[in-house]
Amino acid sequence: MKQSENSLSVKRVSASAEPMAPGIRQNPEIAKLVDISRCIGCKACEVACKAWNDLKAEETFNFGSYQSHQDLSADTWLLMRFNEIELNGDIHWLIKKDACLHCEEPGCLYACPSPGAIVQYENGIVDFNQENCIGCQYCVAGCPFNIPRFNKETRKVYKCNLCIDRVESGLEPACVKTCPTQAISYGTKEDMHFLANEKLKVLSERGYDKALIYDPEGVGGTHMMYVVPHGDQLAAYHLPEHPEAMRGAMSALGLFKQIGAYMFGAGLLATALHFLAVGPDRPDDEQGGSR
Amino acid sequence: MKRTELQRFTYAQRVVHWVVGLSFLLLLFTGLAFSYPSLFWLTALVGGGPAARAIHPVAGFVFSAGLVFMFFMWVKDMFISKTDIEWAKAIKAYASHDRANVPPTGKYNAGQKSFFWVQIVLGAVLLLTGIPLWAPAWGGKDFSGDFLNLMRFLHYLAALGGGLFLIIHVYLGTVAYPGTLIGMINGRVSQGWAKLHHPLWAKEKTGS
Repeated sequence: MKQSENSLSVKRVSASAEPMAPGIRQNPEIAKLVDISRCIGCKACEVACKAWNDLKAEETFNFGSYQSHQDLSADTWLLMRFNEIELNGDIHWLIKKDACLHCEEPGCLYACPSPGAIVQYENGIVDFNQENCIGCQYCVAGCPFNIPRFNKETRKVYKCNLCIDRVESGLEPACVKTCPTQAISYGTKEDMHFLANEKLKVLSERGYDKALIYDPEGVGGTHMMYVVPHGDQLAAYHLPEHPEAMRGAMSALGLFKQIGAYMFGAGLLATALHFLAVGPDRPDDEQGGSR
Repeated sequence: MKRTELQRFTYAQRVVHWVVGLSFLLLLFTGLAFSYPSLFWLTALVGGGPAARAIHPVAGFVFSAGLVFMFFMWVKDMFISKTDIEWAKAIKAYASHDRANVPPTGKYNAGQKSFFWVQIVLGAVLLLTGIPLWAPAWGGKDFSGDFLNLMRFLHYLAALGGGLFLIIHVYLGTVAYPGTLIGMINGRVSQGWAKLHHPLWAKEKTGS
């Protein structure tokens, strides 16, 4: 089973037992921090994502928004979602960087039935290995953020891999490198939390008293976090208020499956015991004669 | 005793029975692989994970279509009668081969009739819950994750029920009651078999 083409330590593997050996190395968690208040909506990150990951361009059209595409796809792993809302009599432009959040408790991985198709690394990256993907799309149902996308031609699922090939070589993800306003930062999760708190202080001085850090507990925290200026408008940002990792998990069905397996075994055992107790009921004109 | 045979199943009935039976086994093995990571190796039987994922829903449609034929071919014999209730009360005697205390049955007994109805209902549940699981994005519209997870749960429960009934069905049809399996292969059973298991039907067929 090919799990990775890189040197990162593995933390969890889909449909497999928990990691084989404890890590000897220290593996600091990394994270991206998206400061929505600094985003100017230029979409350079979308372009950088396409360029680095060799994703083909998709034709789009004007549907009355500054948004480039209507939705994520197997070839569009990053989409800046634009939403105009009225707040206290003013128009506000809410922008959300829509891409995989790399959950600490990945709902996609827990839902995946194929060994090795989804791998979580010690540094927090959750990556899809398409060579092991069977195309069932359980991960799509298991993701609380609606991120993975199915490609009908390859019959595999794709999403942002946090530029794992860059990160492994000590580089920042492509979207981070290209951002002209430094709205996206990258570093250890600890540093990003520190930075996020600094940004919150600045925002509250500017009057954004509802601002918050989006790092939801229901999925154990994420490795892409947001500084959200209008923290009371999460729904308008398309950010779920209480995302949960376990809703589609194999283990959420686990108890039933365990009971089911025992019932199946008990059924086989019962027929065997029944046969030993009473034997066959043979008609007297069948081979073997009367019972 | 001289072996004479009675016609029990038509050619069409036998074909439908085996289409349903073999497609169910295929579905059971691939479905188990999707449900239990420790049984994922079962996908190797059909050529690997992606093949199993591709075959499972197609086999599901074959199975469902077979069930529809099965329903119309057998339903007229499957209505529950008063004798069936008495038969069900004597289930203990039936299970210990104590035929003297089991009310005589016609072409099918209450056990067979309930197996028929249970499989029809479970088959319908499997089909209805299976369609969204086959294509989570049907006609460009996505089903919600919570809905799909509920479908998976119901799909699993129905499959479990079908699997449990299958154990009993196969056990009784093979080792427990010799002479039964051949009836589903060449369509004929021996007169002795008919007298033992379905005495009223045997009387009706032989006119004695």
